[in-house]
Amino acid sequence: MLGRHSFKLPRLTNMCVAYSTAAAEASVEQLYNRPKLTSTDYRTAENNTKQHSAVHEGKFYTLSPEQKKQLFSGGGLPRQYEQQIKTFTEACLMVRPTSLELLNYIRNTDFTRPVVRYVLYGENGVGKTLTMAHVLHYGLQNNFVLVHVPWVPNWMKRPKETVNATTQEGFIDLPFDAAAWLVHFKTQNANLLTQLQLKTSKDYVWTKREATPAGSTLLELVEHGIARIKFASETIAALLSELKQHANDDKCKIMVAIDGFNAFFHPETRILGDNKQRITPDRVTLTQPFLDITNYNWKNGVCVLTVDKIGMTEGYMDSYLPRYLLGKEGFEHLDPFVPLHVDNYSDKEFASCIQYYLDRNWIQKTPEGFDEQLKYLSNKNPYTLMRLTRSL
Amino acid sequence: MLRSLCSRLEPQSLICAVTRGMSAYSPHYIEAIFSKKKQLNLKETDEYIKLSHLPIKAAKNDDSESIFYNELVNKMVNYITKGGNKKLARELLTKSFECMKRVQIERMNLNPESKDTIIADPEQLLIKAIENSRPLLQLTAIKRGGVKYQVPIPVTEKRSYFLAMKWLLEAAREKERKVHLPEKLAWEVLDAAYNQGRVVKRKNDLHRQCESNRAYAHYRWS
Repeated sequence: MLGRHSFKLPRLTNMCVAYSTAAAEASVEQLYNRPKLTSTDYRTAENNTKQHSAVHEGKFYTLSPEQKKQLFSGGGLPRQYEQQIKTFTEACLMVRPTSLELLNYIRNTDFTRPVVRYVLYGENGVGKTLTMAHVLHYGLQNNFVLVHVPWVPNWMKRPKETVNATTQEGFIDLPFDAAAWLVHFKTQNANLLTQLQLKTSKDYVWTKREATPAGSTLLELVEHGIARIKFASETIAALLSELKQHANDDKCKIMVAIDGFNAFFHPETRILGDNKQRITPDRVTLTQPFLDITNYNWKNGVCVLTVDKIGMTEGYMDSYLPRYLLGKEGFEHLDPFVPLHVDNYSDKEFASCIQYYLDRNWIQKTPEGFDEQLKYLSNKNPYTLMRLTRSL
Repeated sequence: MLRSLCSRLEPQSLICAVTRGMSAYSPHYIEAIFSKKKQLNLKETDEYIKLSHLPIKAAKNDDSESIFYNELVNKMVNYITKGGNKKLARELLTKSFECMKRVQIERMNLNPESKDTIIADPEQLLIKAIENSRPLLQLTAIKRGGVKYQVPIPVTEKRSYFLAMKWLLEAAREKERKVHLPEKLAWEVLDAAYNQGRVVKRKNDLHRQCESNRAYAHYRWS
């Protein structure tokens, strides 16, 4: 009986003693033993994406609030990343090797040749969307007209409203999503389009009384689409073909960035047709214009596409490789393209990310070997790391 | 000071003498020492030889050697758990921690001068909140001469931790339907960590009642 007491006691007191003040202070000392941070290790002041080179690899650069607003107010950054931006009071993107590679390709592109399609692919949470965000920033800074679709599966999985298309028999129209995209297009490109003064090449007759005559600016076309939501999808088709035409005439450069491109080739959507059957994506009116603009029959442009596992529905999420996600049809549509594999953090990037989190007070507990343990737990996956450090 | 008085009132042997009625183990089984470090420490002393001849309980499956492991946090998870769904409970507490941290980081950003004084470590906040809401005394009904008296008695250390966590959780569960538990729990913990809020008030109310019933204190023994 006595023996039992002596062994039971330590356990009981253990819990209590550890949180009594003296012991707690000692452990606090150890927990807050912060490593000294030098901001040049993980930050770079270079905000011009054109200058980004291997020197800046793994470092964070800051996106100015205005540019962030212009680029991503209609979506384009993951929701949790938006939350981080709010907490950190700044929008920082890491210069990843894949985006450097891609930027290098774009910088050295011969724009008189047909467009090159780049396909970003990789596991969940490795930073495909943020790589694309970096490239979009490059596009903004270098006067590309941005044709950016933040997340295609939104259209195929949870459209705001579905209507039977009036002009094309058997097709489904997504007027609200189309109009939202037009607004997004306008916020991204309004400045550039007023500068370029691109004109429509032919008359667009919407109804008996409404028409957009040839020679009106593209902005007018877009605004009409936003005002008359019913015609938004057709406006997108018109807008994209006009843009393509202008690019062919060397009047502008276009950057097409479509996130979750494989959703255009998914075996089925969640949209129900007339006979309560799920329809295929090619029967959505929005699909064809975006497939046209990712074709290679035009020049003065660059296509950056991502294929993503979570763009698919259950049963189609076995692999993250482009051939699997795009299917035969999609693969043949894009072929030939440049595949770019986005990978998990390297050791250097991981260390820089940890330092950045420490700098932003995101990681509060730094007992000895915490980074090693996080590395082990997260497998250096950026998203997993962000999730793991939530409660630390 | 009151706390030290309490511990003198309640001899510690008394805590341990309570046998667990439904325990799968006989009383002479000892708790497992799962930590490798502690085992090695024991090996150096002759305690190890003594232990090797004693029957030992199986280690618990939620004990961990991780450097982020905290016994009190683990206990809190157990209290949140409903119907054995511990995974959910852990997720809820994690979310709550995230919420606390975001609030504190926001406060830091608002006035950078007080950066060093603001605690943003959610675990420390939880510990502080629990310490602040631990009661010292509680009331029990004792029948003397046909009348039930509310008699103040000291709370054991273990029970005081239990009550503190229970109160925090009860305060968090009492909310509007639209607010989620992690959020509300975060607010309650933050309040309690700053010695404010409903839980601390509940503790103070209990203490006040005990104080007003001090005349009955002797019924505990007689």
